[in-house]
Amino acid sequence: MFIKRLPGFEHHAATSIPEALDLLTRYAGKAEVYAGGTDLLVAMKKREKIPEHLIDLKGIAEMRGIRSNDQKGIHIGSLTTLAELESSSVVKGKFAALWDAVNEMASPQIRTLGTIGGNLCGAVPSADTAPPLIALGASVKMVGPDGDRSVLVENFFKGPKESVLRKNELLKEVFIPNPAEFSSGSYVKLMRRNALDLALVGVAAYLRLDSNDKICKEARIALGAVAPTPIRVPQTEEVLAGRPIDITRAEEAGRVASQVCFPITDIRSTSGYRCSMVEVLTKRAVLEAHRRILGTR
Amino acid sequence: MEEYSVVGKSVERTDGRVKVTGRARYAGDLVAPGMLYGKILRSPLAHAKILSIDTSRAKALPGVMAVITGKDFPGIPFGTRPDTRDQLPMPITKVHHFGEGVAAVAATDEDTAEEALDLIKVDYEELPAVLTAADALNPDAPLVNEFIKSNIAYSSNFLFGDVEKGFKEADHIREETFSSQRVTVGFIEPHACLAEVDPTGRILLQGSKQSPYITWRHMCRALDIPLSKMRIVNPFVGGAFSGKHDPFDVDFAAAKLAQVTGRPVKVVLNYDEVLAAYRQRNAMDARLKIGVKRNGVITALKAECILEGGPISGIGPFNIYYFGAFMNIPYKIPAIEYHGKLVYSNRAPCGTVRGQEIVLAQFALDSLLHMVAEDIGMDQVEIRYINAVTDGWRTANGMMVDVSGLRECIQRSAERIGWKKSRKGRPEGRGIGFSCASHPSGPRLGGHFGSSVMLKLVEDGKVVITHGGTEIGQGANTVFCQMAAEVLGLPFEDMIQGVSDSDTTIFDSGMFGDRCTYWDGNATIAAATDLKRQLAVIAAKELGASPEDLEFKNKRIFIKERPEKGIDFLLAVRRAYYERGEPLYGKGYWAATDIDIVDWKTGKGNLAHGLDFIATGIEVEVDKETGKVRLMKGVHGDDAGQPINPAMLEGQVIGGSAHMTGHALLEESLYDERGIALNYTWRDYKQPTSMDVPEYAVEHVHTHDPYGPFGAKGAGEASSCSTLAAVANGVYDAVGVRIKDLPITPEKILKALAEKERK
Repeated sequence: MFIKRLPGFEHHAATSIPEALDLLTRYAGKAEVYAGGTDLLVAMKKREKIPEHLIDLKGIAEMRGIRSNDQKGIHIGSLTTLAELESSSVVKGKFAALWDAVNEMASPQIRTLGTIGGNLCGAVPSADTAPPLIALGASVKMVGPDGDRSVLVENFFKGPKESVLRKNELLKEVFIPNPAEFSSGSYVKLMRRNALDLALVGVAAYLRLDSNDKICKEARIALGAVAPTPIRVPQTEEVLAGRPIDITRAEEAGRVASQVCFPITDIRSTSGYRCSMVEVLTKRAVLEAHRRILGTR
Repeated sequence: MEEYSVVGKSVERTDGRVKVTGRARYAGDLVAPGMLYGKILRSPLAHAKILSIDTSRAKALPGVMAVITGKDFPGIPFGTRPDTRDQLPMPITKVHHFGEGVAAVAATDEDTAEEALDLIKVDYEELPAVLTAADALNPDAPLVNEFIKSNIAYSSNFLFGDVEKGFKEADHIREETFSSQRVTVGFIEPHACLAEVDPTGRILLQGSKQSPYITWRHMCRALDIPLSKMRIVNPFVGGAFSGKHDPFDVDFAAAKLAQVTGRPVKVVLNYDEVLAAYRQRNAMDARLKIGVKRNGVITALKAECILEGGPISGIGPFNIYYFGAFMNIPYKIPAIEYHGKLVYSNRAPCGTVRGQEIVLAQFALDSLLHMVAEDIGMDQVEIRYINAVTDGWRTANGMMVDVSGLRECIQRSAERIGWKKSRKGRPEGRGIGFSCASHPSGPRLGGHFGSSVMLKLVEDGKVVITHGGTEIGQGANTVFCQMAAEVLGLPFEDMIQGVSDSDTTIFDSGMFGDRCTYWDGNATIAAATDLKRQLAVIAAKELGASPEDLEFKNKRIFIKERPEKGIDFLLAVRRAYYERGEPLYGKGYWAATDIDIVDWKTGKGNLAHGLDFIATGIEVEVDKETGKVRLMKGVHGDDAGQPINPAMLEGQVIGGSAHMTGHALLEESLYDERGIALNYTWRDYKQPTSMDVPEYAVEHVHTHDPYGPFGAKGAGEASSCSTLAAVANGVYDAVGVRIKDLPITPEKILKALAEKERK
């Protein structure tokens, strides 16, 4: 009912992935891993989670930092903080949709603690980094006792607070492929207030135009907070692909997106409002991505 | 105008550095030898009979030193008025709202105390919950409060002037309903205190309290001890905004646990407990009918208001009077009829919030004024200007307006925000809304009501000042140091703020209603004058002059007509201590005995001096697609008499308005149908951040109040009162939809826009 003090737990500071995996196996079912702790510690104070063991991942150097690979894309260690992403010129320059998201998440103080891995593993429908990563075609690499596996971010989520990450696995890194020529993206978030707030609706758009800036060759649209998981909306993408982008087209994309989302009504908003805001925000996200492509010329 | 050396200057506040560097000690920082930690068990239900409470397992837990329930207290109810004593320290027979404290534990550490709470077993029998005013007034409604045999806690009914005639003379009449939601108070520091009992049984309470006097009186009554058996010392207080006047279960539990264990006990709440279970602003349902002449002059007003205030009356009887009283001002309304009811419910108990119920009254009145102005084709600034109260106006209910700068406030705020230009054209979705307001400088209530100040002049020439007000962030300590320095001719730096301790300080009746600068300020002048008189006798002897001919300036005492003939201030001090053996205390008090103790049921009388005035213009931008309101710019024309510290005054004016932008647009305490609170976290209860408030400007309109210290008036609350209607009127001006039920949410705006489209 009310927040309590942290329950007792044994703390393990892992310094390598194998060590963390060992600990996870040894304390199977009784352990939680944590990095920033901005979600987990609050859940523990609410007694939603009472792990006997906490495995601190912050000392694992290989899961930290942004590595840019000019040919393919960027590798973002899952321990990379939201503040580090926000201050990265590569993220801001090449992956603007992701930068839009981290720039508006939580507060500056929380952004210095919270990590991209934690935001994804928490798997809440309103996770702000998810829609841009889906729109940007990103994937995550997970490591477990049996080795590595990768999955697209759009296939990572299974339900509210549920993902395909297994109990004995760690999310090691996020990979975002380099955007193609004549492309850009955006993330538009609607909040009740202008800072320190969760998304009522979040929409990410990625567009690639032909070399004449006339026709949209490819579109990826992803929505947050309007379904049990962040979702990609192919029906909307079909409205855009193969056609010129203008306000009418963007509005049509918004209409289609609002028909395929299925939000809930809760204390933050009604499903009806969220649906109509999907329409507005999809339009705005598409127009902003389009504007950015033209602006880079 | 007189030239001052310290007054009127934006000196650095006395507590600024210590607060921003984290060195100020608040109640939660205090420690005492052998201190125990207290925690409170809270009701999971909104309305239920307490069948039994079994504390045996909790008491048996190692480290637990005591467990108490409501039965450990004498069972004596307390309340604001003799006829509204409807509250116990902790409940005995029933719980009244979600999160109400039902038992408390003291243990050697916080973890043990929390563990013990889980071992207390309470059997409840759930009762139907009364949540709204309509629920409360339903003839079949269950009774909420066990001491009062009705769900109507208090009522006020006034009739001033000839209302029937007023409406007959009106060329245009309009009637509308308005409502306002439950909002929290919004201070930063959660409730906390440290209680100790000395070997003689005397209780020392150091708590985060706004009005230690109220806490002291109510606690001694409910603990059944004489006032002298309790001492209160004030630590730093992290904001209060009217949310920390009375004692809470926090204070009672700490005191009782300290009595039982014989050890100091500290209780510090988490903020979720504050949001769920402590003071909020009343929910309001109001109906207003106004009559105006073709030229905009108001002829009559009829108002009805129901405040839903939770399970206790608290300060509510005053709130329901205040709503009606402040319909009488800031506009000249010759005839007023008012019917107000305060009702009980099973939501969190209400006190009030900054600006008190004037905030709600002014929202309704100034929204309605906007509507009638539009009906008769009159300019929004013009209708406010012509109806604004002026010097010497006596309101229908008997309040005397000594000095009003309201007309100038209106002109200057309209000019600064660019009203005239905006009428010629403005960007799509933009608009400007106005509202005025007035707030008194401290009303007189019954009982102890004076303010007193004590100055101790130390032999090094520095002055220690203690006063009966409470520094809750408003800057009281600083302005009294300024005033004392001004009178004594000393630099501001020679003033030292002393501790507020009930053993040496006579506390004010309460820290409310913009009274502190005004009342304690006058007391400060009196105390400094007393000190000056004593020093003048000494200096006069030295100078061979008469005490009346002396002047105090720049750390010197000299003959007014011959400034070169004088002595150092410090020399006079030393003569007193070293040659006469005479201690130097200056004491002073101020009490407005010439104002009325108004009967809140009938409402007639001049309740206060120092009516301050404000005219607020707020420019808004409405996103017609999302319904989101952006506050662009806020301008306040503000008459606080003579500003004592212009920078702090500006902070008060801006802060009061920023505070209410949340009430206007964002904040609402939500409950389910059983009365369970739904959004008692800062994540889901949306207070505005610095990114949400407009850019503000303050236009100081200097006036000179005949009773105020150096001509000053109170200042902290007027801008709270003028902000809600300014926002609502701004939204209407921007997109043509009128939201009369707060908060003004994006969904309400979109719905109204869609309806407008259909028409």
